[in-house]
Amino acid sequence: MEMPKVTRRTFLKVSATTGAAAAAAPRLLNAMEQQLGGKDFGPVTGAERKAIPINCHVCNIQDGAIAYVENDRVVKLEGNPEHVSTRGRLCAKGNAGMWYSYDPDRILYPLKRVGARGEGKWKRITWDEALTELAGKLDAALKEDPNTIMMKYGRNRSGGVIDRFMQTLGSATVVNHTSVCESSKKIGMEPTWGPDIETPDFANAKYVLNFGSNILEAAYFHNPLSQRVTEGRVDNNMKIVTFDVRLSNTAGFSDEWIPVHPATDGAVALAMGHVILREDLQDSDFIETWTNVTVKELKEHYKQFTPEWASKISGVPVETIERIAREFATAKPATLFTYRGPAKHMYGSYNERSCMMLPIMTGNVEKKGGYCLPRGMGWPQPSPAPGKPKKDSYLSHPPDYPLAGHKVSHLVPFWIADGKQKINVYISYQDNPVYTNPGSQAVWGKLFKDEKLIPYYVSMSPFMGEETALADLILPDCPYLERWEPESMPNSLWPWLGIRQPVHKSLGESRENRIMMRDIIWKLDPTGSRGMKQFWAFKDGEDYMRQHFDNVPGLKEAGGLDFLKKHGVWPIYGKLDPKTGKVTDKTGREIKAEYNMYKKELSDADMAGAAVGKDGVISKNGKAIGVKRNGKNYVGFPTGNRIINVRVDKWAEYGFNPMPTFKRIPWHETMKEDELILVTFKLNVMKQSRTAAVKWLAEIAHSNPMWIGTSTAARMGIKTGDLVRVESRAGHLVTKAYVTEGIHPRTVAIPTGFGHWEYGRLATLKLKEKKSDASHGADDPDLNNVWWDDKGVHPNNIIPVVADPIGGSQGWFDTVVKVTKAGPDDKYGDSQGDWQKHYDAYKETMRYAYTGDLHRKMHPEMASWAGPDSVKHKEGGGH
Amino acid sequence: MLKAALKIDDIEEIPAGTHRAGAGETAAVLASPAETAADWRARAGVYRLLSGAFVEEPAGEFIDALRSPATLAELAEAGLRFDADFLATPRDRLLEQLAIEYTTQFASSGGFPPVESVRLTGRYKQQPNFDTMQTYKRLGFVLRPGRFEVFADQLGIELMFVAELLERGALALEQGDAAAQRRLDKEIKRFWSQHLGRWVRGYSRLIERTAEHSFYREMARFLGGFAAEEIEALGLRIEDADQARLEVPKSDLRVEFNPNEPVCNGCMTDALSTTLAAPDNVRRLEEMRGLGTLGDLR
Repeated sequence: MEMPKVTRRTFLKVSATTGAAAAAAPRLLNAMEQQLGGKDFGPVTGAERKAIPINCHVCNIQDGAIAYVENDRVVKLEGNPEHVSTRGRLCAKGNAGMWYSYDPDRILYPLKRVGARGEGKWKRITWDEALTELAGKLDAALKEDPNTIMMKYGRNRSGGVIDRFMQTLGSATVVNHTSVCESSKKIGMEPTWGPDIETPDFANAKYVLNFGSNILEAAYFHNPLSQRVTEGRVDNNMKIVTFDVRLSNTAGFSDEWIPVHPATDGAVALAMGHVILREDLQDSDFIETWTNVTVKELKEHYKQFTPEWASKISGVPVETIERIAREFATAKPATLFTYRGPAKHMYGSYNERSCMMLPIMTGNVEKKGGYCLPRGMGWPQPSPAPGKPKKDSYLSHPPDYPLAGHKVSHLVPFWIADGKQKINVYISYQDNPVYTNPGSQAVWGKLFKDEKLIPYYVSMSPFMGEETALADLILPDCPYLERWEPESMPNSLWPWLGIRQPVHKSLGESRENRIMMRDIIWKLDPTGSRGMKQFWAFKDGEDYMRQHFDNVPGLKEAGGLDFLKKHGVWPIYGKLDPKTGKVTDKTGREIKAEYNMYKKELSDADMAGAAVGKDGVISKNGKAIGVKRNGKNYVGFPTGNRIINVRVDKWAEYGFNPMPTFKRIPWHETMKEDELILVTFKLNVMKQSRTAAVKWLAEIAHSNPMWIGTSTAARMGIKTGDLVRVESRAGHLVTKAYVTEGIHPRTVAIPTGFGHWEYGRLATLKLKEKKSDASHGADDPDLNNVWWDDKGVHPNNIIPVVADPIGGSQGWFDTVVKVTKAGPDDKYGDSQGDWQKHYDAYKETMRYAYTGDLHRKMHPEMASWAGPDSVKHKEGGGH
Repeated sequence: MLKAALKIDDIEEIPAGTHRAGAGETAAVLASPAETAADWRARAGVYRLLSGAFVEEPAGEFIDALRSPATLAELAEAGLRFDADFLATPRDRLLEQLAIEYTTQFASSGGFPPVESVRLTGRYKQQPNFDTMQTYKRLGFVLRPGRFEVFADQLGIELMFVAELLERGALALEQGDAAAQRRLDKEIKRFWSQHLGRWVRGYSRLIERTAEHSFYREMARFLGGFAAEEIEALGLRIEDADQARLEVPKSDLRVEFNPNEPVCNGCMTDALSTTLAAPDNVRRLEEMRGLGTLGDLR
């Protein structure tokens, strides 16, 4: 038989004409990456790997993930296709999470300081020795005053364990990290509509206004929301307009990037509101029905915020403000998203409210494609639970900031130094203020080194961060892949419950948070006679989770914790379609979200025994449960009066403007020609302080030159790569310049997450500094693969404290600096902050508090306010 | 005293030339069973000594035994030169100093964990950990925590394992079971080839250099010398992967980007690219696409 002669030419011809047949031929072998996920195989053995569903915790988005385990070792992490929010996708950070477990610099045993604080001399001790020593210190503090025991936590996802621990001790001195995070966004939103965050329905929106959020890279909720942004853009032809001082990746993805002068987003938003109301583009019915102001009142109030006024402040042209206002108001549905851009300023709470007024006045709230309330789920706490401490704490509830419900943690060092509250035992949990806070080393480093102010410091941490290096005792916590934790995060329009579960045995002698805290309590109260042990009656982390989850209605029927152990998340809304990336129902259609949550009607059972007030508020057992509108009993918004408060009367009690408003940063108004504003930002592979030691991420991003505008740099003779000196009122640093058109000319920007001086050999690159020297793994063979020798420069040392007198937020983007070419004595990496200069900044920012002398000057419109003595605020419980 | 402390028999009583084998042969081949058993017990003693030095912070009894005049004399004969910090420091203070030095060197951030996974892969609990665990299990051992919980591929445990095999082998010989002893000999060689031999020589040099206390400096020297001896005596040729790994010089790298370029989330514009002096070995992606090999892939 003669074989056909096949040349490359005939081969190609055949291929071109037989495409249909080829397409119809059976395909049984598919590329693995086109499959749904959820399974993985060892490349050598071909055996299926053990898949354990978890919630990721490299950052705080809480993506659904799966850990693939071989031999009790995580070999791969990927997205969980059953998770409704993240739909099988995991970001770069999440893919690298196993580095935390196996980091050669991980702390695996309790360590006791034996040299001077920060000297780096430690002695390994047993858990029993550690617990005995700590219990002794706690006992002594309890005898004096429980509030002298302080807990400061950073990324706390323990699900209530830390509060339980401190309440068991009877201490109210619990301080979080939120004021350096997003507190003024929360405080702007909460009194207005209830929750502290929004869920924009990007996938179905026609128009998005983005004020200062880099959602495609870093902001809440990066992974799930960036998926929806992309869907809206691609499937729905959504338009995105981003206001930002910097051309972030989100700004680059947008239809329009509008660079604004830092700290002026709020003015632009108010001016857009002015245009909408002036041109009668508002949703009058929504305003009249669901807010506490009338359209007439609103129009009157917004008259002052003209585009001309905002343009002068922000640099955004009048016609741009007017055009975008019209586009936003007429493109239905439209939504808005904000993050740090508006909020991280001295009056960030005002800015946030000014922004959120845009979807409110246009009636886009809770609409499909609009500006939606967050959806989350709760879980019960194990019983019995300790009650609240008897006495309040000054540091937890500083009386000068009565509206800052998320605290003002970055001012704590100064208050301790001023003797506002005595501390005997300071405990930190996953919190590294020596790196992450304004003033960083100059402020928190000084505080922790002062044994008079902090007589005993315990760090619960798996890593030798800048804070842990200054501790007296280190208790080795577990990284996230070794912990049990309950989860729920409003990162999509579908609420869910989830868990983190240990995917392998914890390394060394590390213990997860709830076990560690239980063991401390048991050491303090071994027999239960002190009444503490009863609150810590659980065998292990899994037992604790059963007490959370086994009685949640719905989940209980599905199997409780056992369901979560198997799936990682509940409920499972549908099946992920690998072709569309969407979660679908049995018919193949995408599952629908619920909208108009505030318009849910109360049932007869709900109304039984309820009373309707004059204003329509429906109350039951002393609590507002809904609101009557147009003859119907609605659940309304989760505010005290169940409607949206455009006017927040509580703020007026303290002399703040209760209506949407804007305040310029006073020192921005007086900036000289050669002064610039320093802002910070995050890259997609970095979080606050805990990623620089992750090798895969550090290889992607390890240096952080300062962005500076082309025209600004040209004026100073600065080119990319030049060393520059950046000087603020609190100190100076020396770094490299990156000249770009992608930044507002009055701004310079330095990304954070770099320039560590602790956190292990990779973050500090001490292996490169001291090659062949006796420190920090200089000869670790694997680190020879570290080809970079620039670890970056951390900016926080020179950023002075600023506190929003309402929301308590740090004004990260309020720092005025002078930038010059580096001098002969300057060298790369120099960073000098000064305690006294930071202290002076603290004193100055307190002048803007409602008790300060500048408060009234900043609020001439509140001239009738009777002053701070007119307000009966609760005094914090100092020592 | 040293013999008692280290369980070392008097190997000098073995006729010269009978306990030293040539390449590829071990002492067991040439010596009588009794002599070989004695040799194995002696070696086990050294393994136990070294294991005791590295598995955790030394206890008082261990230090007392080591600091007895007879033991010190024998260690000096073996070439160990302790300083006054070991020889003349009061017992309790010495124990405290050694505990601190142990923590700094081996058990806290920035140190040099004596763990094979870390030395060879840069991470805890990687393949060597599981391989050693499997080997221990196969040969009937279970790893239990001592004062602290340690990894299966921790130096002290690996040394302890060989000590156990040597003692088993000695016992087998004494009971006339030469076949069992030969099997154990193979296991020891395999374990050296797959584990100890791949990292302890380089690691001992590192600790010798980095130790601040003469106890660990000298123990590291002892470890290095003993490892070299054992590898030779076992007739093995093993690459020292720790410290033998080459760093690739930057000049040899051919990359698609400039490694000196700031990683800053921005795209390099043409104007900017001229401001950065790219090294000769750097080729930008566009240029590479113009090359024959990559051009076909477009």
